[in-house]
Amino acid sequence: MQINVLHRPAQALAQVWLQPGEAIVAESGALVGMTPNVQMQTQSGGVMSGLKRMFGGESFFRNTFTAQQGNGEVLLAHALPGDMAVLEMTPEGYFLQSSAFIASSPGVNIDTKLGGFRGFFSGAGVFVLKATTQSPGQLLVGGFGGLQELVCDGNLVIDTGHLVAWDATLQYQVGKSGAGWIASFLSGEGLVCHFQGRGRIWVQTRNPVEYGRAVGSQLPPRE
Amino acid sequence: MDVQPQQGHALATAPPQGIAGPASGSGTPHEITHGPAFAMLRVDLAPGQVVVAEAGAMVARHQGVGMEVKLNASRSAGFFGLVQAFVIAIIRRLVGGETFFVNHFSAPRGGSVWLAPAMSGQVFHRRLQGGAITLSTGAFLASSGDVDLALKFGGLRAIFAREGAFFLEARGHGDLWFTSYGGIEAIDVNGSYIVDNGHLVGFEGALTFDIHAAGGGAMGLFASGEGLVCEFKGQGRVYIQSRNQGSLLQWLRPLVGA
Amino acid sequence: MRYEVRQKPDYGLVRVMFDAPGEQLLVESSAMVARDTAVTMKTQMTGGLFDAAKRKLLGGESLFQNTFTATAPGQTLWVAPAPEGDVQELHCDGSTPVFLQSGAFLACAPSVQLDTKWGGAKGFFSGAGLFLLRAAGVGPLFFSCYGGIHPVDVGPAGYIVDTNHIVGWTGGLEYRVTKLGGLKSLFLSGEGLVCEFRGQGRVWVSTRNPSSLAAFLQPFRPVKPRS
Repeated sequence: MQINVLHRPAQALAQVWLQPGEAIVAESGALVGMTPNVQMQTQSGGVMSGLKRMFGGESFFRNTFTAQQGNGEVLLAHALPGDMAVLEMTPEGYFLQSSAFIASSPGVNIDTKLGGFRGFFSGAGVFVLKATTQSPGQLLVGGFGGLQELVCDGNLVIDTGHLVAWDATLQYQVGKSGAGWIASFLSGEGLVCHFQGRGRIWVQTRNPVEYGRAVGSQLPPRE
Repeated sequence: MDVQPQQGHALATAPPQGIAGPASGSGTPHEITHGPAFAMLRVDLAPGQVVVAEAGAMVARHQGVGMEVKLNASRSAGFFGLVQAFVIAIIRRLVGGETFFVNHFSAPRGGSVWLAPAMSGQVFHRRLQGGAITLSTGAFLASSGDVDLALKFGGLRAIFAREGAFFLEARGHGDLWFTSYGGIEAIDVNGSYIVDNGHLVGFEGALTFDIHAAGGGAMGLFASGEGLVCEFKGQGRVYIQSRNQGSLLQWLRPLVGA
Repeated sequence: MRYEVRQKPDYGLVRVMFDAPGEQLLVESSAMVARDTAVTMKTQMTGGLFDAAKRKLLGGESLFQNTFTATAPGQTLWVAPAPEGDVQELHCDGSTPVFLQSGAFLACAPSVQLDTKWGGAKGFFSGAGLFLLRAAGVGPLFFSCYGGIHPVDVGPAGYIVDTNHIVGWTGGLEYRVTKLGGLKSLFLSGEGLVCEFRGQGRVWVSTRNPSSLAAFLQPFRPVKPRS
C-alpha cells in the first residue's frame, strides 16, 4: 500500500494505491473517488450507531476498501481544508482527536471508548481515540489548516481545539485556559492541555470549533 | 507577470512579503509558518515583554507564559473611551462579531506563544516606526511594543455591512501582525479604485474612502449580489484579501438548508 | 483581455486586465473583489426572465450575473468565488462542451454560452438545488469549487467519483449515478451517491465537499427560540 498526499498543504488529498487484495480502512465520508475494481465494505456497527452518527453524536464509523483483481486507487479527503500526515505506527501508539482520523492500515486497532477524557474537547461530538497495533502499519490523520509537529521535551500548553494527535508516551492534563471562568469566556480561549514528558504533538493551525462558531453563529437560526 | 503602471494606477505584482514597511530595526523575533493558507505566528518573548493578541487566537504557549484578558481600548482613551469600548466589546461578543477583548501574553523568563486566527489565510508582519496603517477590525492578530490601536468609525452606511463598521488604526513604534481571509494582494491606488467591503484588509497613505452600495443600475441596487463597496480616492496602497466572510455565509445558506 | 489566476489552489483569485474599451467579462453575482472605478458594472438576468426564474426556483445558480465592461485600456478587475478553494481557467475552443456543477461557475467571456441542461440532471447532486450547467463556445471560462481541483483523466476502465466532489467534466464521457454499496451502505457508510464515468475525457474533482462543511457547521448555528 502506498499513500501519496497530493495538493498539500491546504487541500490535501490522499491518493492510496492498493495492490490486488490489499485494503485500507477509512473514515466514513472520506471517500472522494476510486477505481471501479475497489470494493467497499461497511464495518458492522448496527443501525443505532449509524443514526447516532447522522445526528452528530459520538460515533465512529469506518469502511474497508479492498482492491479486487488488479491494482486499485482510492482518493480520500478530510472534511475541512488542511494538511494530512502519514504517521508510522509505534509500539506505544498515538492518541488522536476523533475527527482527525482519516484512514489506517487494516491491522491498526482504534479504541473509541476511552475513559478519563470527559470534557477533553470543548467541541461538539469530538472525542479522543487511541491507535495501537501489533504489526507495522500506518495512520493517516488530517487537520484543519496546516499541520505542525511540535516536539515536547519538558512541557507545553496547547489549546485543545488545535490538537490533532500525540505520542502515547506523553503525560497530559486538561485545564481551563484563563484564571477563572469569566476570563476564559472573555479570552476566547477554551480548554488547554498541559503536556509533560517527551514526545511529538501534532497541532493544526486552525481551530475547527472556533471556525464553526465564527461562521455558524452568523448563519440563519435552525430549528 | 510584469505590469507597467497604467492610467494613474499601478499594480503590485507580487504578494507583499512581510508588507514592505521600513525594513530596518530588530523587531520582535517571530516566525510565520504554514502560509499562505493556514498561517500561524510564533512570537518569542523576551523576559518582561508583552504581546497583545486578539482573543481566541492562542494555539500553544510555553508553560512560563502567562495570559491576561484585557479590554482593547486605545491606551489614550479616557473613562468614556473605556466605557464605549466595553459596550462595543460586549455587543460584539454576544452577537458573534469580532471581539475586542484581547489577551496580554508575557513571560517573566521569556517564552514562546503560537497564535492563529479563526479563518484561514495569511499572517503578515509590519514594523511600525511612527507611522500608521488602518486595518479592517477582523484583520488584527497581535501587536507588541508602543503600538496604539484606535477604533475608527467607517461611516453610517458602513453600519449595514457586517464588516467595515469600524476600522482599527494602528500607530506607533513596535510590531504589528495582521491577517487576511484568504491571500493578500496590494493595489497601488493613484486616482480612484473600488473594493468590495468584505475583501478589504487595510490601507495606508493619503487615501479617502467612501462606503456605498455597489451600483449596477436600478436592478443592481438589490440584485447585483454585491454588498457594500469602498471607493478609495487619492494616493496610497490598499490591501485586499481573496475571500470574503459575507460571501461565504451567503454561499452556505442553501447548503445548510436555510 | 488578459487574465491571471493567482493564489492557486487555496484562494483562487482572477485578475483581469482589459486591453481595449468594450471588452467584457460575465461574472457570477457577488464575485467581484475590486476594480477600477471606471469599469462599468451592469446586472442582468442571464438567459432571460424565464430561465432565471427557473434557476431561482430550484435554488441553484443565483438569479443575477454581472457584466463588467471596460471603458479604457489597462483597466483591471479582480474576481473571486465564495468558498475557499481553487479556480481553474479553461480555454474553450468550441470542440467539446464542458459540463459544470452549477455552483462551480465563476466567470466567462460573453462568447461562451451557458445552457442550463435540465435533462439528466435530476437527482444528480444531493445538494440543495444544484444542477448541471453546459458551457460551449470559444473563449475563457473560469470555474471554482470548495477545495482544490484534482483532475482525473478517465479512460475506458472508468472512474467512480462521490457526487459531492464533482466539479465538472468534458463532453465525451458517459456517466451513471448510483448508490455505493447498496441502500444499507448508503445509510450507514456515510458515502452517498456516486457517479461512474466511462469513455474518454477528464473529470475535475474537488478535494473538499461543501455538504461536509455544511454538516460540520450545523451544530454551531443559533437555535430558533421556541414560541
